[in-house]
Amino acid sequence: MSIAAFVVVAFMLTTYVLLDGYDLGVATIAPLIARGDRERAAVMAAIGPFWNGNEVWLIAAAAALFALFPAAYASSFSGFYLPFVVVLWLLMFRGIALELRNHLRSELWHQFWDAAFSWSSGLLIFVFGLALGNLLRGVPLDAAGYFQGTFAFLLNPYALLVGIFALATLGVHGAAFAAMRIDGEPGRRAVRALRSGVWLVLALYLTVTALTFAVRGSIGGSWLVAMPGFSLCALAAVWWSARKTRMTATFAMSSLYIATLLAASAGTLYPYLLPAFPAGRGGISIFEEAYCRGTAAGTPSSAALGCALSITVAGIAIVAVYAPIIWRRMAGKVRVE
Amino acid sequence: MDLVLADRLQFAFTIMFHYLFPIGTMGLAPFVAAYTWKAARTLDEESGRIAHFWTKIFAVNFAAGVVTGIPMEFQFGTNWAAFSRRSGAVVGQPLAMESMFAFFLESIFLGVLLYRRRGLPSMFTAWAAVLVCAGSWLSGFFVVAVNAWMQHPVGYSLAPDGTIRLANIWALLFSPFLRWQFAHVLNGALLAGGFVVAGVGAYYLLARREEAIGRRFVRAGTIVSLVFALLAIFPTGDRNGRDITMYQPIKLAAMEGLFATTRRAPLAIIGMPDIANRRLIDPIFVPEFLSFLAYGNFTANVNGLDAYARELWPPVELTYYAYHVMVGLGTIFAASAAIAALLLVGGRLFRARWMLWILMLLMPFPYIANEAGWIGTEVGRQPWIIYGLMRTAGGSSPTVSSGETLFTLIGFAGMYFLLGVLFLYLVLREIGNGPGAVAPP
Repeated sequence: MSIAAFVVVAFMLTTYVLLDGYDLGVATIAPLIARGDRERAAVMAAIGPFWNGNEVWLIAAAAALFALFPAAYASSFSGFYLPFVVVLWLLMFRGIALELRNHLRSELWHQFWDAAFSWSSGLLIFVFGLALGNLLRGVPLDAAGYFQGTFAFLLNPYALLVGIFALATLGVHGAAFAAMRIDGEPGRRAVRALRSGVWLVLALYLTVTALTFAVRGSIGGSWLVAMPGFSLCALAAVWWSARKTRMTATFAMSSLYIATLLAASAGTLYPYLLPAFPAGRGGISIFEEAYCRGTAAGTPSSAALGCALSITVAGIAIVAVYAPIIWRRMAGKVRVE
Repeated sequence: MDLVLADRLQFAFTIMFHYLFPIGTMGLAPFVAAYTWKAARTLDEESGRIAHFWTKIFAVNFAAGVVTGIPMEFQFGTNWAAFSRRSGAVVGQPLAMESMFAFFLESIFLGVLLYRRRGLPSMFTAWAAVLVCAGSWLSGFFVVAVNAWMQHPVGYSLAPDGTIRLANIWALLFSPFLRWQFAHVLNGALLAGGFVVAGVGAYYLLARREEAIGRRFVRAGTIVSLVFALLAIFPTGDRNGRDITMYQPIKLAAMEGLFATTRRAPLAIIGMPDIANRRLIDPIFVPEFLSFLAYGNFTANVNGLDAYARELWPPVELTYYAYHVMVGLGTIFAASAAIAALLLVGGRLFRARWMLWILMLLMPFPYIANEAGWIGTEVGRQPWIIYGLMRTAGGSSPTVSSGETLFTLIGFAGMYFLLGVLFLYLVLREIGNGPGAVAPP
């Protein structure tokens, strides 16, 4: 049951990264692919109907973590206090920028919000990458299972590099989406950005992967050694389909590539939700939250796990029925007007 | 500053600011759905403009509600880690349901509503509007389910280490406290929606523009306001009050400013609590009426604050004033809506400029009443974070300092000031432009 819960949370976070990842990525590279008010409006319109639904996956994943693993939720959210509040502010700023942009027909108003949108989205990706880097590296848990994530600790070279890697990866993911959804000049520029971006992603991928093995020391299952192979194949497929200008395939392959990255990350963490730093000192695991013994937090009861699992699985099933129908009705390319 | 105080200030500030927007979405969603439906059915151009007009206002509301709502869920973990750790297995469930069953519905179909608005709405759009409305109400239900559980915990068991475990999720969703609390919360939002629509219409009539549309707004808004102003008093408010009497008698005593346990307890209409001397200053009483409201019997005995240990009292003044502001405003709403409805039936409402002025000026007050109701509910729950189970003082994050919380509180204040200004600017501008300025469908 605990394993199923771990898989569900990992699945929801992966879905979040794949979906919100493309709209964050499009926003980040918008200054590169769109020139002038009308092109930028087309880029915003390409993600406008979707971003909110995509962001719900983050809320849903956080809620699932809250219900399934309260100790890890409490410890990580309070330990990463300031970074999390910064994430909140960026999420808010981004939402405001996108929603309020089209309420006035003024070019200055548009310019301000477009810039705000791009910067806050890019920073968000970077901070998410930073968080993932620190999660993989582990955090200094105390005996009660809490920690205090100071900036001096969180801003380490490894995590910073993962942040940059996240920017490059989701930038390419966003370019693939933009090339698929937008007609005309912005779409063509996205294809060009995509083709050169893939090489940057490859270089960063190799560096980060090598460093991850070094930082984690030993890793969980032996199947993880094969993961880089899958990731590289998926990345090659991204490059190949981008060369052939088959954008739907490129987007699908980019999604697959990111999914392999996150699966590898989840596999590296397993069975911990929050590994301790330095590596090898255990952590808050999904089975017995060893760090929390003797304090007011044990393993969640099977009733709670079962309930939260049914909610999330039923919810995902329902969304999987209606979301694609809606997306299909909303599909079709966005034109620059 | 004390950490728990800093955390409470931050929660109070962010939740009160956030809640302004769900009032708008829950209250306006049925109007958006009804107007969109009508426009799709009749293909009438004026209805199309109206549907589009309210959809735009709804969208600004919704966006502000989403961006201010995200910090609420995160705050459980960032600021109230000890509370989350102890009760997450229970409190997390309705929140997970909210995301999975309500947020997806709401956000995906709002995307349809907003980006499909060239031409008259189709039945597809009309259904989307109905589902957005359902999503916003459902979301309200799950959030109130969390709150109702914190007011009156049910369906749990205690682990030996003190962790609160989920025993029965259905007990939580069908909690006796939840029913009337949710009914009253939704009722409050619909009342606000009615007064906003009536107030906007009254503005158009007073300004002598968009008069045909203004009359439609005033008519619909007045009827909805009257219905929900009456339902707010009976049964939803009355039943919610009975539940408080049964499950949280200390809160009842604080709300009513009843210091001494009394048979045939009088109801204080006004008066200022004087804690040191345990009395109300300068009160006006209705004899025996509190006994009747609490127990349906004029001679019943009502426990006063003196029946409980001093350390279990909530902050009496704030609870008392918040509750009295809500009830006082509720009475004014019922009276104004009733007079407006009489004028409407008599065919004189659209010419009675004094009444239109009242309707227009009343617009912000349902918001105040909603917020005041929540202040009474939440402050009156103190000193408990989970009633009878866990103290607020023990709920905050052990690794976060009050300096950090103050810093982020200042950040939120700046952010929300900006957001508030933008929200008012955009909504007032939309109302100023009017449905006539909406691009012809």
